[in-house]
Amino acid sequence: MTLQTGLGQQKGRYLLEPEALAMVKAAGLPVIEHRTARSAEEAISAAGQLGYPVALKVVSREIVHKSDADGVQLDLRDAAAVGAAYRRVMDGAARYHADARVDGVLVCRMARPGVEVILGLTRDPQFGPALMFGLGGIFVEVYRDVAFRLVPISEHDAMEMIREIKGFPLLLAARGRPARDLATVVRCLLTLSRLGQSRPEIDALDLNPVILYEEGCVVVDAKVFLTGAEGPS
Amino acid sequence: MLKGDGFFLADDGTMTAQSDNLAAIFTPRSVAVIGASSSPEKLGFQILKNIRDAGFKGPIYPVNPKATSILDLRCFPSIADVDGAPELAVIIVPAGAVPATLAACGAKGVKGAIVISGGFSESGAEGESLQRQALEVARANKIRMVGPNCQGVNNPYHGLCASWPLLTMQGAMAVVSQSGTVAAALMDWAAQEGIGVSALVSMGNRADVDEADLLEYFDGDAQTRAIALYIEGVKDGPRFLAAARRARKPIVVLKPGRTEKGRQAAESHTKSLAGRDEVYQGAFRQFGICRAETLHELYDFSKALAYLRRPSGRKVLFVTSSGGCGVLAADVAAGEGLDVAPLPEAVATHLRSFLPRHFVVNNPLDLTGDATAKLYKDVIAVAKDAFDIVTVIFGDPIVGASEVIDRHRPELVVFLGGAEVEREEGRRLHARGVPVFPTPERGMRALAQLVRFGRPEEKARP
Repeated sequence: MTLQTGLGQQKGRYLLEPEALAMVKAAGLPVIEHRTARSAEEAISAAGQLGYPVALKVVSREIVHKSDADGVQLDLRDAAAVGAAYRRVMDGAARYHADARVDGVLVCRMARPGVEVILGLTRDPQFGPALMFGLGGIFVEVYRDVAFRLVPISEHDAMEMIREIKGFPLLLAARGRPARDLATVVRCLLTLSRLGQSRPEIDALDLNPVILYEEGCVVVDAKVFLTGAEGPS
Repeated sequence: MLKGDGFFLADDGTMTAQSDNLAAIFTPRSVAVIGASSSPEKLGFQILKNIRDAGFKGPIYPVNPKATSILDLRCFPSIADVDGAPELAVIIVPAGAVPATLAACGAKGVKGAIVISGGFSESGAEGESLQRQALEVARANKIRMVGPNCQGVNNPYHGLCASWPLLTMQGAMAVVSQSGTVAAALMDWAAQEGIGVSALVSMGNRADVDEADLLEYFDGDAQTRAIALYIEGVKDGPRFLAAARRARKPIVVLKPGRTEKGRQAAESHTKSLAGRDEVYQGAFRQFGICRAETLHELYDFSKALAYLRRPSGRKVLFVTSSGGCGVLAADVAAGEGLDVAPLPEAVATHLRSFLPRHFVVNNPLDLTGDATAKLYKDVIAVAKDAFDIVTVIFGDPIVGASEVIDRHRPELVVFLGGAEVEREEGRRLHARGVPVFPTPERGMRALAQLVRFGRPEEKARP
C-alpha cells in the first residue's frame, strides 16, 4: 500500500479510519464529523444525526484503497440513498476480497468544497520524523508538488513549507477566488509536528485531503501506519 | 537565512572533541607512506611523489619491505622500523593488511591515517568485516582515519598533497567529497582559475571521519570561507544536521538521487541508505544549507560564497557591453527572485549627461561596443548606490577590466567573449580574490545563492 508520505509498501499496522481520525482529532486537528455504523439502519440513523448530505466509507483492515472496492459513496442526500449505498459498499467489499473482515462503515458529513491540501508525517531512515505539505489531488499525485521539513518545525519552517510549493498561488486571493486560511495550515503543521515527536510509532500518516477554507480547515480522510506488527496483506 | 529555529538536537558535546584531533590528518609534522612504491604507475609512487613535490616541510617516511630508497627518500621495511615518530600514515596496502598496519601505526604513536586502499565495505561482506576491524583497531589506538577506499587529502597550506593529481593552489573553499574525482575536479578548476582551495578531502567509505567531522573542522579552519560538499547520503543524519546548524560558514551540497534510478545508484555506490531526496531537500532548506544541482553549480556557488559577501538586498543593476548577455543575466536573475529594478530617474538623468546619445539608459545598462574600462568605472560610480549589487558583464575584450572592479564593493563579475584579454584580466581578478563567472546564467545562479546564504558584510572597522 502506498501513501503519499510513504516510500512504498508499508510494513506496519494499518489503523482503521475511525482509529486514525480519532488519533488526529485527539492531537488537536479539526476532523470531519463522523459516526461508525454496522448496518444499513445504523448508517441511516447516523446520517440523520449528522445531517445530509453524507458520505459512506468502508471500514476494513483488508481494504486500504477504498475506492478500488466501491468502498467510498459520496454525496448521499437521503435515507434511501444511504441504505442503497450501504449495500453497494458491502457487495463491493465482498467482490474485492472474499474474506475481507468488514468492521462496518464510516458515515461522514460531506465537507463543503474548498481547496484540497495534503498534510503528512513520514519516518526517514536518516533524519527521523518528517512533515509533508502539498496541494491535494493531481498536484501531489502527478506533479509531486510537496514540501518536507524535519520534526520539530518552527512557525517559520511551516510558513516556508507552504510558500515553497509551486501551487502556492492557488492558496492566495486571485480572480475572485478568496485567500485561504494559511494561519490554520501553520497551526495544523505545528500540531502534526508535535504528534510526530510524541508518537514515534507512527511510520506514516496521510491526511488527504484536508479541505482548506477562507477560515479554518477540516480533515476528511486519514490513513495511519504504525511501525511493528504485520499490516494488511 | 535562518538556520531552522525549530530544530532541537541534543548537544552532546562530543563533536568538538572529535574534530580537534583531525590536525594530525591536515597539518601533520611528519608523514609515513605505507605501501610506497618505486613503480611510477602505482598509487604508492604517485602519492609519495605528490607529497614530496607539493613541498611538504616535515620528514617523509616511505615504508616498503622490498625497497631501500624511493625517490631518493630512505625507505623503511615496516612502520615499526621508521627512525622517527610519523604523525600521519598514508596507507596504500592490500585491504587484508590494513587492520594490522593500523595496529602497527598505533604502536608507533601515529595519530592520523588516510587509507587509500579499496576492498572494504564497497566490495561485499568480507570487505565490510575488514572495514569494521580496521575501524576497531583505529579507535583502540586513538587514530583518526580518513577512508578507506578514498583519494586522500590535500592541504595546500601545509604542502600536503596526500592525494592525486598534484595540485597545490591555495584558496578559500574547502572541498569535501564522497567521490575522489569530484573533489579533484573542483580543485583542478580552482587551480586553473588561480583561486585554489583551502583543502580537499576524499572521504571514501567514511568508516571513521565523515562529513559531520569535516564540517566542524573546516568551520574552525582559518583558511576556509565556504565548504563544498559532495555526498550521496549522510552517514549520520542528526550529527550532520547538528554540525550544519553550528557552522557559521556557508555550506554548499551537491547530492544526487532526485530520481529513483539515481537513488538506487547512490545506494549501490555507498552501500548506505540514501533516503528520500524530498526529505533531504527539506532538511537542507531548514538548516540553511545551499543545494547545488550540478558539479558546475557546486563549484560556482562555493566560489561565490567563499569570495564574496552577502549583498544587503536583492536589487541588482546590470552593466554590460553585450546587450544579449544583459538580457540573459536579467532573465535568470528575475527567475531567481532577484530584483531587476529600474534606474531611479535621478541616476538616469545623471548618466544621460555624459553617455553618448544613442545609449538606452536602462537596467540592464548596455554600454555596447563602445564600452571601455573607463566608461564602466564612470557608470558604476554614478549608479552603484541605488542598488544592492552591481553585476558587471564584460562581453568583449575590455582592456583594463580588472581595474574596474573594487573588491570591497558588492559586485559580481561575468566575463565572456574576450579571448586573450579576458584570460589575462580574469587572472588578475582572481589573483585579487575577485571571482569571475563564465556565463551570465552561472553568474546569476551564484548571485542568488549569495543573497540567500552569503556571509554578511563585515562591520567596518573603526
